[in-house]
Amino acid sequence: MTEILFILTLTASAYMAWNIGANDAANSMATSYGSKALTLRQIIFIASILEFCGAFFFGSRVTHTVGKGIVPIHLLDPHIIVIGALAAILSAGLWVTIATYYHLPVSTSHSIVGAMVGFGLAAVSENLITLESIKWEVLYKIALSWVISPISGAALAFIIFSLIRVLILSKMDVDRVEGVFKYLQVFTACYVAFAHGSNDVANAIGPISATFGFSETPAWVLALGGLGIAIGVATWGYRVIETVGKRITELTPTRGFSAEFATATTVISASYFGMPISTTHTLVGSVLGVGFAGGLASIDLSVVKRIIYSWVLTIPVAAMLTISIYTLLVIFL
Amino acid sequence: MKFIRPVAADVFGYSPFKAIHQHSEYCEIAIDLLVDQFEAFIKGNKEEILTLEKEIDELEHEADKIKAEIRTNVTKSLRLPVDRHDLLNFLTFQDQIINYAEHVCHMFTYRETKNIEKDIEKKFRQLLYKLNDIICKYEELIDHVAGLIATSFSKREITDVLEHVSTIEHAEHECDTVQIELHKLLLNSSLNPMDVILLRNILIHLGEIANSTARAADAFRTMILGR
Repeated sequence: MTEILFILTLTASAYMAWNIGANDAANSMATSYGSKALTLRQIIFIASILEFCGAFFFGSRVTHTVGKGIVPIHLLDPHIIVIGALAAILSAGLWVTIATYYHLPVSTSHSIVGAMVGFGLAAVSENLITLESIKWEVLYKIALSWVISPISGAALAFIIFSLIRVLILSKMDVDRVEGVFKYLQVFTACYVAFAHGSNDVANAIGPISATFGFSETPAWVLALGGLGIAIGVATWGYRVIETVGKRITELTPTRGFSAEFATATTVISASYFGMPISTTHTLVGSVLGVGFAGGLASIDLSVVKRIIYSWVLTIPVAAMLTISIYTLLVIFL
Repeated sequence: MKFIRPVAADVFGYSPFKAIHQHSEYCEIAIDLLVDQFEAFIKGNKEEILTLEKEIDELEHEADKIKAEIRTNVTKSLRLPVDRHDLLNFLTFQDQIINYAEHVCHMFTYRETKNIEKDIEKKFRQLLYKLNDIICKYEELIDHVAGLIATSFSKREITDVLEHVSTIEHAEHECDTVQIELHKLLLNSSLNPMDVILLRNILIHLGEIANSTARAADAFRTMILGR
């Protein structure tokens, strides 16, 4: 029975990875398409390879936090962990799919963390663990990183673009400068893809990594997550890149470079500290930062409100969905 | 295409600058047509006067639509590189250019005027050419918007804009001079008093076109410097 559940969890994780590639990875890569620094083909190529590399080589820290840092899995028996992991990944996947359908700016990171909290609470309700044994201090840190990351993206992007503006744009021919930054943006596009892979792979494989206990997450699981993201970019992400890219042509190479560099630096730092943050929200922060530095003709601040709403909505919904699925699985198995 | 979260694109708000440019182009075309309409008026070509009246009237209507579009979309949640109120204020002045052009296009249809003295006709033509010149300069000023945004308001671009506004103000002063001369000619002519009334009305409104252009340029400067 546990084997069947494990395979189901694996399948759900692969779907989640695909969804992350199709939407989140695509959003962060679209900035290179909007500025025409890269063609769609080149972007898919770069994204597939570097998302995979990021996930495979630098994805284990965040994966560890999601899988083993929130629920005290050493207190639970393996069968319960598999049920919990399945419930968590199913509910996060389901919520992200529903939210995508309604065009809500949700984050897969927030969904999976909410889902893992749901798993923990379900275990508490079964008296398997105590409420205090859930690692709240890690959750505080994660919540804090969610607030800090968009602000960090905005601040970094503001500084980078302001420097470009004062030191370069005001002194040299604009078209020439943009031409040079087109090449630099190839580098930041790779940087973003790598950073994104390293952080967001955990949203897909975090729960299943818990089933391996406290031993290291096997490399093949990281590879599966990376591969899922790469396939997501290639099979569906290109549509998202096109849709988003066409709407953000204002983001010229200097602006795109600033936003991408700020986003990637913030995200990779979060990966280093093992914090599962939202790349998309960080990117939104970074683009706003470029706008605040006077780099864009118009930015719409109402998106911030929508992001905060979906934040507040995602955590309880993902947690409650997990508790429901977990309960159903326990009753019927 | 339902399963898409285009979050990154949602950050980008409505940008009014293209629409403003389009609106200013309509102003320029309207003045161009006004010159043609004047020639038709002098020739007494009724049909052409009416055709041009219709064209200018439609242009003004289109410009109004653009103005309304900008006014509805520039909401409080948008952050533009210029002050929102400065922008809307500037737009009001730019809109007056085409409004006055529209007033004049109707006036040419009010009355058939024959035997206008040659020197009055010449002065009128001179005034219209001056207007054409000022509106072309104005159009060039609005062209600066693209550069301002591309360099994100570099000092060099701003200096260019300030110089440009001065040339427009200078051109407006020249228009004033022609207007004064034309008034003197008109009020001392042997034309039918009804013709004098009509021509004087047209003259005053043409003056308003020049004034509005200068005011719009001034508001543009305020907008660029007020950020």
